[in-house]
Amino acid sequence: MRRGLIARSPDELPDGVLDARLERVHAAMNAASLDALILYTNNTRPAGVSWLTAFVPYWSEALLLVPRQGAPVLVVALTYRVKTWIERTSRVADVIHTPRIGLEAGRRVAAVKADAAVGVVELDMLSAGIAGDLAEGGPRLAITDASDVFAQVRAQPDAAEIALAKKAASIAHLALSRICRDGDDLGSMLGAAEAAARRQGAEEIYLAAAPDLDHDLRLRRIEGAVARGPSFAVRASVAYKGSWVRLTRTLHPDDAAARRAIDAFAGAVAQLPDARALAAFPSWLIEGCRLTQPLDAVMGSRATPPAAPLPRLVSVQARIDIDGTPVLIGAPVLLGVLGQPARLLAPPVFD
Amino acid sequence: MLSAERRRRLAAAMAEAGIDEMLLYGNAWQGDYLRYAADFGILEGHGIALVAADGSIELFLDSAVEAERAEAEAPGVKIVLARDIARAVGARLDRIANHRIAAAPRRFVPKWLADPERSFSLEDGTALVDTLLMHKLPAEIDAIRRAARIADDAYGVFRAAVKVGRPQYELVADVEAYLRSRGCPDNFMILGSGGKDVLGMTPPSDRRIAAGDLVTTELTPCVEGYYVQICRTVVVGPASEAQRRACALYREALEAGIAAVKPGAIAADVARAENDVFRKYGLGDYVTSKWTRVRGHGLGLFCDSKPHILEDVDTPLVPGMALIVHPNTYHPEVGYLVLGDSVVVTDNGCEVLCETPRELFEVER
Repeated sequence: MRRGLIARSPDELPDGVLDARLERVHAAMNAASLDALILYTNNTRPAGVSWLTAFVPYWSEALLLVPRQGAPVLVVALTYRVKTWIERTSRVADVIHTPRIGLEAGRRVAAVKADAAVGVVELDMLSAGIAGDLAEGGPRLAITDASDVFAQVRAQPDAAEIALAKKAASIAHLALSRICRDGDDLGSMLGAAEAAARRQGAEEIYLAAAPDLDHDLRLRRIEGAVARGPSFAVRASVAYKGSWVRLTRTLHPDDAAARRAIDAFAGAVAQLPDARALAAFPSWLIEGCRLTQPLDAVMGSRATPPAAPLPRLVSVQARIDIDGTPVLIGAPVLLGVLGQPARLLAPPVFD
Repeated sequence: MLSAERRRRLAAAMAEAGIDEMLLYGNAWQGDYLRYAADFGILEGHGIALVAADGSIELFLDSAVEAERAEAEAPGVKIVLARDIARAVGARLDRIANHRIAAAPRRFVPKWLADPERSFSLEDGTALVDTLLMHKLPAEIDAIRRAARIADDAYGVFRAAVKVGRPQYELVADVEAYLRSRGCPDNFMILGSGGKDVLGMTPPSDRRIAAGDLVTTELTPCVEGYYVQICRTVVVGPASEAQRRACALYREALEAGIAAVKPGAIAADVARAENDVFRKYGLGDYVTSKWTRVRGHGLGLFCDSKPHILEDVDTPLVPGMALIVHPNTYHPEVGYLVLGDSVVVTDNGCEVLCETPRELFEVER
């Protein structure tokens, strides 16, 4: 559940930006002959609704109802007592509170047009309870999947989204820079990283660590007292006002090996979306927001085939072996347009 | 090992109910059913665990980083990474379509899997798993007790963090940093600060703590996946007479609620005991859904488990259930105020888990 700063900043996310995004969605809906578009949100899948309204649920769930014309309405399972909080932290025409969000959404759409064409983003993954309620609320609605319609609009970041991703990247970078090379207790190191991120206004931070790269390269959540090995890695997944990035740092006694790995990583990501250089590494992963999940695997050594369209804002993770020494690296990247090279939003360099 | 005990218990319950395969859905909001069997605390994406009659488990995940984490954190579970998790699970279930398959929580299962056009059908196994989640093993209660020690300490960190001029989110930063340093991987907390303008608790904002504020929070740290909760209120500066009176009322309500927790009682008895205290003082309006959500709830692998403590919930209380009793609500003279303690139902009453005094704590202006 979210417990970091959730606050709308008109400077960072002006009304005009949200209006422009909505206009693009309306255009796509018109092209697809949709009368209404419905997006689901909870704290796992907030990215579609937060992109359109800035609303991020700290728990519970909601549906965003986008009519073909006009502003969206949020139907939430959160209680009426948090209505003012929702209104403070997001931009929607109205907030409707009900435990059966599908039923209410179906009724509202059907009240305007009983046989409306309704597109639902990620329809197949909508929970059975909500899907059933939606059909009950609007028995004559023609409900189809609108994931492709939304993905085409969502893939192109605007300047505000890029700026938020940069801020998230700077928070993640600061957090990982607080990991002390000389410390022994991994918990204390993670505590320092967590404090740094949240004091910078992170909406969320997930920390994972591979405590001893000589024995296990897998990054995991740390519970209890865990000692580190001579070489270890920490990954910070950070959200800032709805924008998520991942950054991974390896602390290795051999600085030269780590530096060579960073150079190899930077060289490979510069060639993206051509992933052949990344594919030469033992493992790699590219994640970005396509629909509702903030960081969805779109390409990688385990994620095949590639998802389309490829988002321009991505986080890249890789394992790079330098003379038999494994190094884990990750950083957010903005893919170039018109032949421009991709560029790192935060360098994976901490010293 | 706790996870192995849970799996054996689930397999036995499935056998008794004649269920061949159990599908457990989870995400970061509602992850307790999944965690019960797979022992994986999901953070990103969707997860579906398939539990066979022999207790073996396949865990399907659609996030690549979560799949790697599950491979490290959930030994003995077969991990399957699939971008289209519903169809991957569906392909697996097609092979056993003639078996009795149940799903929990049934209403959370992806629509595609629940569609009547599938070759298999999913019965509702929610009540079966709910019983296991509510009626805990001794080792589960031990984990909750350990979480309670951390909650007491973390509340001390929270009190120390409350200082005039600090934004709300920095208080959370201090608590979360402390919890990570203690090796506590997860926590849920919301808070509020201010006076009569505050109607409840939410995630932190950038509002700065001011003199005279009531600062409320509920902390919900977890150990081995088991959450415990503590609710307390701090006042910045000396408490007013009205604030003291209000806190005394909430303490009386909390103590009445805790006294009602015993085998043979139902959840409604606890809520009624708390609410009767408010009604006695003419504040009956403030125990309605307009002002408060629940008067407590279950604790375990989810921070807001069944049963909800409300006057219309007839779930029987039995030994081994963990609850928080919290008469949190708005008070017309002072604003939103919270006070709550976690308890475990015992053979003849209940055991209170947290040791933090039930006070309205005062911190310096």
